[in-house]
This record gives sequence, C-alpha cells and structure tokens, in this order.
Amino acid sequence: MSMEDYDFLFKIVLIGNAGVGKTCLVRRFTQGLFPPGQGATIGVDFMIKTVEINGEKVKLQIWDTAGQERFRSITQSYYRSANALILTYDITCEESFRCLPEWLREIEQYASNKVITVLVGNKIDLAERREVSQQRAEEFSEAQDMYYLETSAKESDNVEKLFLDLACRLISEARQNTLVNNVSSPLPGEGKSISYLTCCNFN
Amino acid sequence: MGTKMADFGSPQKLSGVPPPEGMGGGRCSEISTELIRSLTELQELEAVYERLCGEEKVVERELDALLEQQNTIESKVVTLHRMGPNLQLIEGDAKQLAGMITFTCNLAENVSSKVRQLDLAKNRLYQAIQRADDILDLKFCMDGVQTALRNEDYEQAAAHIHRYLCLDKSVIELSRQGKEGSMIDANLKLLQEAEQRLKAIVTEKFAIATKEGDLPQVERFFKIFPLLGLHEEGLSKFSEYLCKQVASKAEENLLLVLGTDMSDRRAAVIFADTLTLLFEGIARIVETHQPIVETYYGPGRLYTLIKYLQVECDRQVEKVVDKFIKQRDYHQQFRHVQNSLMRNSTTEKREPRELDPILTEVTLMNARSELYLRFLRKRISSDFEVGDSMASEEVKQEHQKCLDKLLNNCLLSCTMQELIGFYITMEEYFMRETVNKAVALDTYEKGQLTSSMVDDVFYIVKKCIGRALSSSSIDCLCAMINLATTELESDFRDVLCNKLRMGFPATTLQDIQRGVTSAVNIMHSSLQQGKFDTKGIESTDEAKLSFLVGSHIELCQNNISIIKKVLLGSSDCTKLFSQGIGGEQAQAKFDSCLSDLAAVSSKFRDLLQEGLTELNSTAIKPQVQPWINTFLSVSHNIEEEEFNDYEANDPWVQQFILNLEQQMAEFKASLSPVIYDSLTGLMTSLIAVELERVVLKSTFNRLGGLQFDKELRSLIAYLTTVTTWTIRDKFARLSQMATILNLERVTEILDYWGANSGPLTWRLTPAEVRQVLALRMDFRSEDIKRLRL
Repeated sequence: MSMEDYDFLFKIVLIGNAGVGKTCLVRRFTQGLFPPGQGATIGVDFMIKTVEINGEKVKLQIWDTAGQERFRSITQSYYRSANALILTYDITCEESFRCLPEWLREIEQYASNKVITVLVGNKIDLAERREVSQQRAEEFSEAQDMYYLETSAKESDNVEKLFLDLACRLISEARQNTLVNNVSSPLPGEGKSISYLTCCNFN
Repeated sequence: MGTKMADFGSPQKLSGVPPPEGMGGGRCSEISTELIRSLTELQELEAVYERLCGEEKVVERELDALLEQQNTIESKVVTLHRMGPNLQLIEGDAKQLAGMITFTCNLAENVSSKVRQLDLAKNRLYQAIQRADDILDLKFCMDGVQTALRNEDYEQAAAHIHRYLCLDKSVIELSRQGKEGSMIDANLKLLQEAEQRLKAIVTEKFAIATKEGDLPQVERFFKIFPLLGLHEEGLSKFSEYLCKQVASKAEENLLLVLGTDMSDRRAAVIFADTLTLLFEGIARIVETHQPIVETYYGPGRLYTLIKYLQVECDRQVEKVVDKFIKQRDYHQQFRHVQNSLMRNSTTEKREPRELDPILTEVTLMNARSELYLRFLRKRISSDFEVGDSMASEEVKQEHQKCLDKLLNNCLLSCTMQELIGFYITMEEYFMRETVNKAVALDTYEKGQLTSSMVDDVFYIVKKCIGRALSSSSIDCLCAMINLATTELESDFRDVLCNKLRMGFPATTLQDIQRGVTSAVNIMHSSLQQGKFDTKGIESTDEAKLSFLVGSHIELCQNNISIIKKVLLGSSDCTKLFSQGIGGEQAQAKFDSCLSDLAAVSSKFRDLLQEGLTELNSTAIKPQVQPWINTFLSVSHNIEEEEFNDYEANDPWVQQFILNLEQQMAEFKASLSPVIYDSLTGLMTSLIAVELERVVLKSTFNRLGGLQFDKELRSLIAYLTTVTTWTIRDKFARLSQMATILNLERVTEILDYWGANSGPLTWRLTPAEVRQVLALRMDFRSEDIKRLRL
C-alpha cells in the first residue's frame, strides 16, 4: 500500500444515456452540490471521495463518463478496471430505460466478470413526469441480477445510500476474494500479495 | 429573690462580652441606679461595685482611644475647610464650560446647515451649467451633424450623434418644456432624422466596402458603429466580412488539397495541414483585429466577434472533415476494424500497418484543433477579465459559462471528438494486431537473454500511447493507456503464460486462461510453423524456452516502468498539463490510468514467480532427482578400506556437483541475473528436500556417517560459490543430520542436545533425531529408545 491513508480503494464507473443525471449524482455525492444547467460531460470526469465504513477508510474513485455516443470508445476503456458500475437511467425518459439492454451488452463485453452492477433510476423528484414504473425497473433488475435503487440527485434522495451501500458490498466482496485466494492458491514459501490489494494498489 | 437573681444574672452574662470598640462610649452602664438602690446585701453590692469598676476602666480606655484620634480628625477638618473655596471655583468653571460647549455646538450646527445649503446650491448650479452645456451641445450637435453629413465627414457626424446619445434624456425632455420648446423640438427631430440617416449611410457604405473588400473603408465604418450605439450590429457585420475572407481562403485551400499529388511530402497529413491553415487564418484575424475591437468597442466584446467567426470556422471544418472522411475512407475503415475486433469475427483482418498514416493524421488534426481552441479560450478569457474587473462574481461566472458553452459545443469540438472516438478503436486494433504479429514473428537469437518479441511489443505499445499523447487530448491518452493495460494484462500475459507452459512437456496443468482467441490463434499458428515443435527434445532445450519467457517477463516489468517514466518525463505531457487542458482533473486522471498500467508490472512478477516455481518442479526436478537418487546406490555402510577408496574415487558427490555445475552454467548463460538468482534459490531448496529424502532411505555406519558429512560439506561449499545468498540455512537440517550420523555413541547426542546445544538451534524434532539415529546400523534401538530428549 502507498503512503495514502485508506484501507480500501475502489473504482466506480457511472454509465448510461446522455442527460440521465450521472454528473449530478456524482456532484451531489462528492461535493453536496446540485448545479442546475449542467452541461454535457466531455470524455470522462474523475472525482475522489473517501468515506468511513465501520471504522475503515474507503477511498472511492468515481469515474463519471459522457453519455454521448461519440465518447463511447473512451468510456469503454474504463470498464475493465472498474470494481463497480452504476448504470443510470432517467425515470422520466422511457428511451433511457429502453437502452439498458444495450448497456448491459457493453458491460458483458468490456467489464471484468467480477464487476458489481447497480441499476439506478434517477430524477424521482419529477414523479409527475414518470414514464418508467418502479415495478418495471425492479423486474428488469431482478431478471438481470442487479441491485436496484431510485434516486434524486436534486433532492439528495438515496444518493448517499447508493454509494455507501455499494462501498459496503465492495468491501465484503474484496474480503471474500482474499479468503478464496488465501485458501486456493498460496505459493509455497511466498507471501502472495493479496489480490484485492493489488487491484486497489495505487502505486 | 429568685427574680432578682435572675435579673442580676443576665447582665452579668452580658458583661462577659466586651463592648465593640467605638460603640462603648455611647452606651450607659448595664446596671441601673434603681438596681443598686434595691440591693441590700453587702455581697451583692460588692459584686456590683466591682463590675462598675470594670466598666469604668473600659470606658476610660475608650475615651483615651477617642482622644488619641482627635489630632487626625482636626487636621482633616482643616484640610476640608481649605478645600471649600476651591470647590466653589470648580463649580463656576464647570458652569462656564458647559455654557461654552452649548454655544459652540449651536454655532457649528448653524455653520454646517449653511454649508449644506451652499453645497446644494453648488450642485444645482453645476447641474444648471451641465444642462446649459447639454442644451448648447445639443444645438452644436444639431448644427454639427448637418455640416458633417454634408461634408461626408461621417466620423464627425457619428461623434455628434454619440454626444447626443450620451445626453441625459430627461435634460432633453426639460429643455423641450422651456421657453424655446418648439425650436428645440424641431432641432431634436432633425437630430433624430440625422441619426437615422447616418445609420443608414454607415450600413450602406459598410456593405459597399465589404463587397469591394476595401479593408480601410470597412474598418472606418466598423469604428463608427459603436458611436451610434450599434455594437452588436457592428460586430456582426464586421465578422460577416471576416467570415467571407475565411471562407474564400478555406475554399482555395481545399481545392489545393484535392489537387495534391499523392507523392507530395505532406500528402499523408494534407487534411491536418488544411485545418492548420484554416485555424492559423482565423487566429491571425483575431490577432489583427482585436486591438480595434478593444479600442472602439471596449473590452469584453471579443467573445461576440469570435462567436460569429466560430460559426464560419465550423462550416469550413465540416467541409474539410467531410472531404477527409471521404478521401481517406475513414468511416469504412472504422467499420472494418470494428468488425474485426469482435471476437469470433470472420472478417478478413486488415493489415494494421495500413492504418498507420491515417491514425497519425487524425491525432495531428485533433492536436491542431486543441491548439486553436486553447488560443481562443486564452484570448476570450483575458478579454473578459479586463471587461469584468469591476463586475460581480455572477457576471464573471455567466461569462465563463458562455465561453465554455461556445468552445465545448461548437461543431469543431464535436467533430473532433467523433474522429478521436473512431481513432481510439482503430488504434486499439492497430496495437492488438501489431502485438499479435510481433508475437507470431518472435525470433530468438542465440546468446541473447531475450528474443525480439518483448522489445517489439513494447515498442508498439509505446508508439500507440505516444501517438495518443500527440493528439493533445487527455481523454484520448488515458483511454489508450487503459487499452494498453488491457492488452498487456490479458492478451499478452496469456501469450507469456502459454509460452511458459510450452516449456514443460510434463505439465498437466489445465489451461485456466480465459479463451482469448488471439492468444490461442498465435499458439496455433506458431505450432503450425513448427516454432515450438520441440516436444521430445531434451528437457533442457525446452526449459530454455521457458527461461526465455522468464527473462521476457522481467524485461516487461522494466519496459512498463520505462514507459511510465518516459510518459511522465515527456515534454509533450508536461506541456499538456501546464496548459491545463482537460481541466484540473487531467493530471489526476492521467496518474490513475498510468498507475493501473504500472500495476501490470506486479502481475507479471506474480506470473514470473509462478512460472519459475513450475519450471523448477516440472523441468528441473525430474533432472536433479535422478542425480540425487544415485546416492542410494552408494553404500554408506563401509569399512576403513572402502572409506579410503572413496577418498580416491569419489562415488557420488563429485559427479553430482559436476552435473549441477553444467546446469548452472546453462542457467547463467541464458538467464538474467535476477531470474538466475530466484531460480537457483528454488533449485537449492529442491536439492535440500530431495537429498533429505534419500538420506532417510539409506543406512550408515560410523565411517559411512563420516563419508556423508564430507559429501555434504563439499556440496554446500560448491553451492555457496554459485549462489549469491547464503544457503547454509537451507541445508541446516541436513547438516544436523550429518552431525547425528557422525556420532561415536548414541548418548553422545546429549552433548549437543537441550542445555548443551550452545549456539546450535535444532531444526530436527526429537522424533526426527531418533529416526536419523536409527539409520546408523551400529546403534542399538534400545539405546535410542532410552534416550531422553
């Protein structure tokens, strides 16, 4: 581990159609802001927030990707090293929900098979304009074996919960991995570096 | 009598308390005259008398004390008397002072109110003068405009109109209500007419000048617009003129491009050059006209001008890029590559080298665009900065937002982002295919520690990342670093893994690798080429292949750190960051991606360790084991004569050392020092374990034990010379076994055991000690059993 003061480091990548509120979710979580009139993200934005969970410092590296098609080849290159993906759609936009299978195909193709994917329906503050029912989304996420959450970056609903729950799951996953690794593939006489540490190692 | 006694008793009690000082003088005796009169008994009288005497003494003491104070009191009284007149004086003075203050105060108030009145009067006077001036100006303007217009002195006329426009409208209104109202009204009408006329004339003249391309006239009228309050119109009309210039120049350039000979030196980057010319043209326009705009339109107006210019720029960029896409078959090439990248695709693979020129050209195009956009950003922000020096934070932010919007949403940005998006996919293809090729064409020259492959692969990776860097786009660079990480970590790692395994014919390890088609393909193709057709050849040759891969991995680690260093130290990179491209997170993004790439290095290290362990157990062990096994065929149950014979004709250890020497020499020649070290480390451990195994299968007598001790010593001595670290520790158990086998009697062990062990730390358990003792044919098992360890 480097000099930096943390117990875990995870990479979280936000993906989903343009304009569903990925940047706002990240801003709300990392800076507590909801900047109105947010322009489209260009390429990839990068934020860091360290949280404490059960006394352990967890550093979250959050990659906020551009939703527009022309940035796809840039954003795809980040999938593989991600520990978790937050697949976001807009509950007031049927189209953004309909595109989800396409996103799942991308995940299948580029992401690591150990990646944790969370489905997020954003903008629940605009309930009167809802086009995708919660039930529909829940059924979809269940079928795809994804964790599902509805959020509002504007009202700050479920935003903390989204990231903190995710961090918890990542921690337990990492713990399990070390356990498996220690049991199955110890090198004789060698203290093998623990896999989650290597993947989290920041230098 | 009882009551008397009671009356008498109480004062007596009281008298016990001495009267408080200073109060005693003012108090009568407790014993009244009546009480004395009523007393009849002598005894009582005496008692009362005594008490009275006591009281008297007290009173006397008090009196004395009071008399003593008399002097002080008197002197105080005298002082007070003296102060009396002074106090009266002070009172008088104070009253006088109060009077004066009140007076001054009134005076001051009077004065200030007069000043206020004066001030007001002065202001009114000024206003009156101003108004008179304004009215005079108005008249002057009215006259002046007419004359100037007649003389076609539009600057003068515009100056008059400007003056009129600057006048306070209320003044004009007031003037109309005055005595000369009707006259002013008429004049005002004339003035307004003149204003309209002037506007029409200027617009018309400007249009003519524009048409004729008469720059001095264009600039002349451009300067007049702001005087007439037509800033926006002036800028829009002027930029129209500039845009026309840009367009005609760009068209010329594009025609030139289409006529360019393919053999031209710049043919491969002709579209990047065309864009460069376009950008340079616009930059020059901005450069030359910025001073006029600043002087005549004021700061903060450059944004408007550039906004108009950018529209034309976008139009021209679109044309150039369209031609680029058509002529270079860009989309077609992209689609082809995309299809080839799909796993299990059947499309015929395109020669990656063919992509080389177009990739270079696209990155160059993007670099030029970034440079141009950076230029605009710098110019506009500094212009805003001057204009907003007094503005509120909100206005500044609003302006910043406008600027961001202009530069981020312009067609140029979007087009370039699109091109770069395609570029990344194609560059990924280029990297992957070229790496595959390098792996397939791997050649190994004798006497070298590595083959061409690793150098080639890293040359390619460096080239691709370097090209992405040359695009000046941080996101593009980061994406390529990510993809390089992926390539090295999965596909290339698989190649190395497979090569490692190829070295071990005995391997039964299942291929745990994910089915990465490319790696498998290479393996197949290399097998078909007979490249690895080494099965059946002696294991050393096969092992050599693995050594090679081992050195490769080490080389890879070195290469990765070199890439990292080169990237971090490259001037392009530092330049990119110093210019703050991609916002403040650019550096953080880059660092994070790069550290992922560096982490591949440690994964290779794991792979290397894994490989060496395997190599040791599957290639070296089968070879070393028989050498060690011959130990079993050498009897260690020997007589003096045989022992002496062994001295002359060594039965085992010399040959073993010779074999090892040969093996080690081979290692040393074909391995890098680091890998040689780790491999010899693993091998010595193996020897120790194996030798221990055979020793426990043999039997010894006293001389045999001595023989073994000698053999072990020469082996250790040899191994010490060929390994860099101490191997004594690895042979500690064997040495202790030799010690045991060398004992005279069973009980002698106690001289070395427990409290007598001294500096020796036993690595053998008591059970093992007994086991080793039992190897000595001449030791009785009862003696061994009886031992207390």
